[in-house]
Amino acid sequence: MDISHLAEHVGTVGSLAASVFVVATYTMKTMIPLRVFGMLTNLVLMITAIPFHSVLQFGLHAVLFCLNGYRLHQMLQLVRNVKKSVNSDLSMDWLKPFMTERKCKAGEMLFYKNEKAETMLYIVSGRYRLVESGIELPLGAIVGELGMLSPTNERTQSLECVESGTVLSVSYRQVEELYVQNPEFGFYFLRLASARLFQNIGKLEERLAERAATAPASAIPGLA
Amino acid sequence: MNLGVPKAAGLRPAIRSIFAYVLGDDDDAIPMLPAGLPDPVRQVAAEAVNRLIDYQGPGYAQLYVARLRRFIGRRDIDDAMFAEIARLMVVRMAYDDAIRMAQLKLAEAEAGRGVAPDDVRKLRLDELVSLLPKKVADHALRILKYLGWLHLPVTMRFSAASRLRRRRLRIEASFKRWRLSSVRYATERVWVERWLHMIDRSLTKQPAAVATVVATAEMVRGDGDGYARSLRDWNLIVDHLIKPTLDGALSCPDLAGAITEARAAVSSDPRQETLERVIARIRERASAGAAREP
Repeated sequence: MDISHLAEHVGTVGSLAASVFVVATYTMKTMIPLRVFGMLTNLVLMITAIPFHSVLQFGLHAVLFCLNGYRLHQMLQLVRNVKKSVNSDLSMDWLKPFMTERKCKAGEMLFYKNEKAETMLYIVSGRYRLVESGIELPLGAIVGELGMLSPTNERTQSLECVESGTVLSVSYRQVEELYVQNPEFGFYFLRLASARLFQNIGKLEERLAERAATAPASAIPGLA
Repeated sequence: MNLGVPKAAGLRPAIRSIFAYVLGDDDDAIPMLPAGLPDPVRQVAAEAVNRLIDYQGPGYAQLYVARLRRFIGRRDIDDAMFAEIARLMVVRMAYDDAIRMAQLKLAEAEAGRGVAPDDVRKLRLDELVSLLPKKVADHALRILKYLGWLHLPVTMRFSAASRLRRRRLRIEASFKRWRLSSVRYATERVWVERWLHMIDRSLTKQPAAVATVVATAEMVRGDGDGYARSLRDWNLIVDHLIKPTLDGALSCPDLAGAITEARAAVSSDPRQETLERVIARIRERASAGAAREP
């Protein structure tokens, strides 16, 4: 039996199938299907390389298969984490893998009031103070998560490093890219940001209620 | 089905816009001056917006307008001071770098004033490298520092005397596309924000010193060694006098007087010894005054 003839047919069919998958990959609008189709293309091209004993082609697509798989896993993990966060503690820890570390020295200003906000910060170590209000931010605090969605995009206070430490930062542009690449992430990110906003409103209402309860009736306008 | 417009007609602007995006073109709208801007400020701001559009583009001019907007409606700032902030801010935002020097020389030649003599500027190597994007410049600066070449003087000639030289100026001026991603821009941006922050805080804590704080922007100017020295002097005064006073760490009731005294001590000494001595004296005096108070 002539195997070379069969291999040639397999190769032709494989190349045809791979071409279809390549075209399909490039037509994808969002990241997850793009990665899935990329992996399918790599798989078909790996199979096609076997009958031709093309080690280089097989090797290249094996590496690309793993890379696409890793990025797909990252995306799916991100969506899973954001979803989990929306349903539990509203934390933003899921952003950490996308953030870059930045060392801060005591006295350094991380940003100024009214400055155009472009990054979100996560406090890892050190001490940081909001200059205008004098409030010290705790470790693990996220700064500027709502600034991305606000129409003015401006910092409402200045942040100063009081004791040297480390912060993680991610630019709004990077988050926007994640948002556009992955609509499901975008949807849950919006829900999370809104939930955190409602949480802040709730806290403010509680404080107002507390203040109203402690203040004498005469001090409240209209009740005197 | 629309048969009136050929598909290629829509394709060309699309390709152009892709290239513009890749090359970093500024396609922002020309900013409108905000309502509520007093007349003296409006005049300064209108000129400043034109200058910044020429310097960088409409997006950069928008940043200027956004910064001005912070002072609109503030009762603690009069029109003259607001106009002065607007004037000094545009000077600092349109800072002198090699790109600007090429832009100005080119504009001079294109205005048809004849071939002007060459402009020869003495810059520093770190000043030139800082025009590169941060990711590249950081590595280059580290290497230059290791080799001890960071402050090496570089003479640059800006000439529009021939067609070839004008072409060179055009290429140099075209680097403005990447100006906003440069290390130099990051430094200048922080500087302007810090200056505005000091103005904002002195408006609240030491209103009598605001005019003097605003005027400190005049200290930072020039290029090469002169620019680096003036920046160091300004930072020294802010770090050791203005900021501690506004933080409440230093009791200096006459901050304006203290700044004026310190500015008078600014000299061409690169080691800043005179300025440091004067600031130390002012701080001692302030501490002694605070100790005397009940």
